[in-house]
Amino acid sequence: MRRTLRHHGLGLFFAGIFLAALIGQALTGHADYNHLQIAHHGAAISLGRYVTSADFGVDVLENWQSEYLQFTLYILGTVWLLQRGSPESKSLDEAGLESDEDQRVGPHADERSPRWARVGGWRTTLYSNSLLLVMGAIWIASWAVQAVDGRVSYNADQLDHQEAALTFVQYLGSSDFWNRTLQNWQSEFLAVGSMAVLAIYLRQRGSPESKPVGAPHGATAVEG
Amino acid sequence: VFVAVMCLGVLTAGCGRDEDRARVRSVTASFFSALERHDGGAACSQLSEDTRTELESQEKQPCPRALHALDLKSGSVTRVQVFVTNAKADLSSGDSVFLDQGPDGWRLSAIGCEVQGGKPADRPYDCELQA
Repeated sequence: MRRTLRHHGLGLFFAGIFLAALIGQALTGHADYNHLQIAHHGAAISLGRYVTSADFGVDVLENWQSEYLQFTLYILGTVWLLQRGSPESKSLDEAGLESDEDQRVGPHADERSPRWARVGGWRTTLYSNSLLLVMGAIWIASWAVQAVDGRVSYNADQLDHQEAALTFVQYLGSSDFWNRTLQNWQSEFLAVGSMAVLAIYLRQRGSPESKPVGAPHGATAVEG
Repeated sequence: VFVAVMCLGVLTAGCGRDEDRARVRSVTASFFSALERHDGGAACSQLSEDTRTELESQEKQPCPRALHALDLKSGSVTRVQVFVTNAKADLSSGDSVFLDQGPDGWRLSAIGCEVQGGKPADRPYDCELQA
């Protein structure tokens, strides 16, 4: 048990704090929603109805989509884009998809390699891009659900103010949809860009996200 | 995670609110049916409390009598839209009504509404009465 916890600590820790934060968001979002309902002489709704409402859905999904976009772009961008001195970057002569030998696919795979890395053909091509494909699919799905739920939440406000409801296509061109989207994107892009650059000069002893404390600022693709 | 996203989408997209749509249609139909029977009391009971208060303050008389002072075009419900706790019903007369889900359930919050021009996101309705 202790060994399992130790070997899977990173995944378990983040799964735990994710659930705690999601429950916290549901509870505080519910309280906030009912506060506004009472202020507008409306009816308070149950927690169950709130967590199955578009208001909760759009608030959750607009954050999910931007996180998955960030990692999708980072996975894709770091194939070709380099950053001198950053542990987030590959060596300056390794830009691109790299050779089969470097990637240990097909005849260069060993007996411990995943089967789809060894077999060649479409399965190896698919497996070679599987991380990007899955992260990208989650991003697109989250963004689509954000749009569906965002329209419902936006239209509730529109009707509350005796204004016309928008169709789904009209909502995709609305300032509400793009404001929700871009306010999340900008923060993700800032965080990931600053991480890549700050890690050139700053260190965290013991973290694989940092270079070793004594590594020179110019050393690229070195992890601590 | 992909499955979680799709589940959340299905749960929160506002599908399966047929009961609310039926209730909105029924409240609107009851209001106009009472109005046609000249039963002001029954019609007033379909208005939200804030809307009744606004009407009485606007017309300076009790709700059942004040309703007759409004220029309301009756008609059957042709379309209902429900978004969380807000709804709109369009009538065959071309007018629309708005409803809120309050402590007493779905009640009319604005009646005798005609759409004004403008962009879809900025297209307010002009109402005979609104809370």
